Amino acid sequence: MREMAGLDEGAPLFVQVAERLADEIADGTLPEGERVPSTNELAAYYRINPATAAKGIAMLTDDTLLEKRRGIGMFVAAGARTRLLAERRKRFAERYVQPLVAEAGRLGIDADELVTLIRESSHGQGGTRP
Amino acid sequence: MSTWISVARYQLTDRYTFVTGPWTILGLDFLITAAIVLGYPGRNGQVYAGALSAIYVYLVVTGALGIARQLPFALALGVSRRAFYAGTTLLAAAIAAVYALGLTVLQLIERATGGWGLKLHFFRVPYLLSGPWYLSWLTSFVGLALMLAWGMWFGIVYRRWNLPGLLGFIAAQAVAVALVLVIIGGADAWSSAGRFFKALTVEGLTGLLAVLAVALLAGGYATVRRLTV
Amino acid sequence: MTPAISVAGLSRRYRGQLALDNVSFDIGSGSITGLLGRNGAGKTTLLRIIAGHEFASAGSVRVLGARPVENDHVLRQMVFVREDQAYPDFRVGKAVQAASWFYPNWSHERAGALLEEFRLPLNRKIKKLSRGMRSALGIVIGLAARAEITLFDEPYAGLDPVARQIFYDWLLADYAEHPRTVLLSTHLIDEAAGLLERVMVIDRGQIVLNSGTDELRGGATSVSGPAIAVAEFTSGRPVWNRRRVAAQESAVVAGALDEADRARAAALHLHLEPLTLQQLVVHAVGSPEPPARERTSA
Repeated sequence: MREMAGLDEGAPLFVQVAERLADEIADGTLPEGERVPSTNELAAYYRINPATAAKGIAMLTDDTLLEKRRGIGMFVAAGARTRLLAERRKRFAERYVQPLVAEAGRLGIDADELVTLIRESSHGQGGTRP
Repeated sequence: MSTWISVARYQLTDRYTFVTGPWTILGLDFLITAAIVLGYPGRNGQVYAGALSAIYVYLVVTGALGIARQLPFALALGVSRRAFYAGTTLLAAAIAAVYALGLTVLQLIERATGGWGLKLHFFRVPYLLSGPWYLSWLTSFVGLALMLAWGMWFGIVYRRWNLPGLLGFIAAQAVAVALVLVIIGGADAWSSAGRFFKALTVEGLTGLLAVLAVALLAGGYATVRRLTV
Repeated sequence: MTPAISVAGLSRRYRGQLALDNVSFDIGSGSITGLLGRNGAGKTTLLRIIAGHEFASAGSVRVLGARPVENDHVLRQMVFVREDQAYPDFRVGKAVQAASWFYPNWSHERAGALLEEFRLPLNRKIKKLSRGMRSALGIVIGLAARAEITLFDEPYAGLDPVARQIFYDWLLADYAEHPRTVLLSTHLIDEAAGLLERVMVIDRGQIVLNSGTDELRGGATSVSGPAIAVAEFTSGRPVWNRRRVAAQESAVVAGALDEADRARAAALHLHLEPLTLQQLVVHAVGSPEPPARERTSA
């Protein structure tokens, strides 16, 4: 397959483009008020159709994470990061904790042991920020 | 109209087929004829070469190649069959006019130099090309245009039906000529046909050839319209 | 808005053989559409009819709202780059120059840059070019023309991967600046996947799939692992294809998977892999069953 800056065929490309931008907003790489790349810039970078890139941006605009400033471009909306993180925390439990607990159960690891494992892993990585 | 001119320019890009080829052939032909005349210095009578026909024959090839080679790419560039044919016809008319002028000028030079000093009649043809210069030009123009139109139709037939079509087309022309002869013979009209041609002036003949050229152009147009590439 | 290309009930018959069988679709203006299908499926015939190079046996074709056949107004806004293009006996530079005369929006700058990128020798006769270079010439003309309707029929026969990459990148770059309607027939689906907004799959003269690419992506997943687990996971789901060896099984499940599905698959120790666009197209055309000794039917 043609190299598309890490996009894959597993999900709609516009969703993946939106997720990449959302990741950057969540980790602060794209701070609030910052201009996001234009449709054509994204298209050239990912080597995808500009319409697909535009759909990705539209998805974030619909979620009010981005806002349009007429004649200048798209910018990260105020409060975007906070809203994004809140939503992601909510999804974290179902996406990661539940499978983790299920797999632990299959391996005979009880809850206390699991918590210990998480602590050790966390220390190993020098601790994680909340 | 602007597309027609673009087509004419596009066709003319193939300089060899349209310019270099015909004049090279004619030039070589002239040199060979002159060499032959020089090789037999004993002859003092006038020499009629008849080799001028080379450029006419070559223009059939020009018309055929111009169409057959250049049509598919032109269509790919968004040129309609009609515009392609019109542009090619425009170029053919221009070429026939300019080349006829060239032949006329050469004929005048030939006259002025006593047949290039060799009593050679290369650009002068008795009856056909021996009148005033403008009549020579007109007859040459119509003759050259006729050859180009004929060639163009050949080219279109080849593009549309390939080699079998080309052979069929030649056969059909032979049959048409034979039919005319049979009809004349059947009507016992040989003597009147003879009288007709005897009475025919160069102007009249030129007119007939012009009608034939237009008929060939119309035939080519009818064939190109349903051509596929 | 009128679609850029509108085809309705189009059929083309050659001596009793149906090359196109009641084909209908619309293509919106300002889009890149992939026309996919096997050899002889009818791709070239369809493009030739759209370009007015071939005639329909039945049905209608409208380009920019009008019939394209012998319609100068429509044809002037169209360029058709064919794999099997018959060129005149021109040199490369002359052919490009001649092409520029027919397009009001022609970009000399783009043409020059592309000729350089593809390393095309301007002074060489076209008939002396290699197959790949001839394809490159077609691409230069197709892109520099900036025609509202741009048709590419297998434009990269014989092109090396580097040159194909140049084609994709320049198509995207030029398209971003000058949007137009591009219809591209290709076999190299995965390579072109990122460019395409929409794919149409044609098989035996019929359109068997016509969908936005992003609606297809993630639309089917290959599930593999222990046969019992695969059976458990796939029960109640539409399965396209199943293969099995000993206790291992691989199945293709249609329909998108959600978070819960993924979690369940992980718990069952199943390996999930989304089907690529190419694989989806192969399924749409109806891939033959592999000649495996042991297999269960779907």
